[in-house]
Amino acid sequence: MMTAASPPSVVVVDYGLANIQSVVNALECFTPNIRIAETGDDLAGAARIVLPGVGHFDVGMKGLRERGHVTALEAQVLDAGVPLLGICLGLQFLFEGSDEGVEPGLGWISGRIKRIEGNSVKVPHMGWSEVTCPRPSRLFAEIKAPIEFYFVHSFCAPNSGEAASLASATCAYGTEFVAAFERGNIFATQFHPEKSQLAGMKLLETFLSI
Amino acid sequence: MPKHRLIATLLIDSGNVVQTRLFKRTNMVGSAFTAVDFFNGWTVDEIIALEISSNSDFLPRMQEIVAELSRRCFVPLSVGGKITSAEMAARYLRTGADKVVVNTAASDRSELMSEITDRFGRQCLVVSIDGRPDPAMPSGYRVVVDNARRHTERDVVAWAQEAATRGAGELMVNSTTHDGNKQGYDLELIRKVSAAVSIPVIAMGGVGQLSDFIDGISVGGADAVAAGNIFHYFEHSTKKAKETMAAAGLPVRSIGFYKVNMPRRPKYRPF
Repeated sequence: MMTAASPPSVVVVDYGLANIQSVVNALECFTPNIRIAETGDDLAGAARIVLPGVGHFDVGMKGLRERGHVTALEAQVLDAGVPLLGICLGLQFLFEGSDEGVEPGLGWISGRIKRIEGNSVKVPHMGWSEVTCPRPSRLFAEIKAPIEFYFVHSFCAPNSGEAASLASATCAYGTEFVAAFERGNIFATQFHPEKSQLAGMKLLETFLSI
Repeated sequence: MPKHRLIATLLIDSGNVVQTRLFKRTNMVGSAFTAVDFFNGWTVDEIIALEISSNSDFLPRMQEIVAELSRRCFVPLSVGGKITSAEMAARYLRTGADKVVVNTAASDRSELMSEITDRFGRQCLVVSIDGRPDPAMPSGYRVVVDNARRHTERDVVAWAQEAATRGAGELMVNSTTHDGNKQGYDLELIRKVSAAVSIPVIAMGGVGQLSDFIDGISVGGADAVAAGNIFHYFEHSTKKAKETMAAAGLPVRSIGFYKVNMPRRPKYRPF
């Protein structure tokens, strides 16, 4: 648990895209100890890492690579076990790749990100949609599902393969996709907890205390 | 499907929330930050802040306000008012807005819409359309701009379709005869626009009682319903609005309450 005396050092990964300010604003409600990592070197000493995201998969992956974040994330998250929260595009990076582009993803989770498809669904999927929790999880420990979170995305992780086996929340839009998953110290949400009012803030609070 | 959204609209003049009736400013309500703090606690699904002052040098001040609003607004925040370029949109988005709202400048120079969506995606762009009843127009409504002071030659439905084609993520529709009049939305206007486009339509202008929200969706066909004035003067109004909508069988976001310990959350302060 975090205490007033030792707030965890939260590092938000900046790769040149997106409104990381929203994520920082939300985290700031919990801890003053927030840093923005412009390059991979800035990830050193992180107690929690948040990988936010809005934007194009390829542009984002290139940004991560050029700034040295990919090797730093591997060292911090895979080797040192620092808890990571990927948000939206930050969830998608964790897979092997995305139909949005041609760049390889981080490849930590097997499977590929697909375009949202389905009869009469509008893309992007934008708004408050209900998620259900297929199994108990640490991130949703305090959340009473079904509950709505705020989504903005055109691509998703289909609810199949490894992602499905790790899913802590799923959502049906067009087809069913993984709204959140966790594996060890890796957590990710397709929705935006920083824009999901109290339920989202509860998730962030939970992540910081894991 | 995403739930129907209840949106609070803040009309901001030099940092204060004001009310309007028929597009004319009436009275000051109070600090924008206090209002957002209340909305956060009250299950509103989205906040739209529109700068309506007559100052020409409003931008730095409004950016400060957006920065502060975004520090306490944990639902999507849309910002508009005299946005004339993608660069201005970028400044608001960098400051903490999630979407920008364009109106007059998009009508005057429709390339503005693609300039914004090319850089930020269509989910970022809300096109606001103000309609005035006019039997000379095919849809019966003429587009007016500049706070309803200037007529255009555009038909509301044709313009709504053009905006959708040019990349608008959603449309926000208000009526010069209903704004602030407490008689409910201009349902005919909302219905015509909703039927003509496949992007989400936000109904705005004229809510006087909670059942007007239901009509905006059930009769008007809007995806989301917005109001300003009604939220300012009675307690728990957004919660009651949600309950009213849910009781009418409309899918809305549930009023889940979570006790979240946010030791550093910004406090009210005079501005």
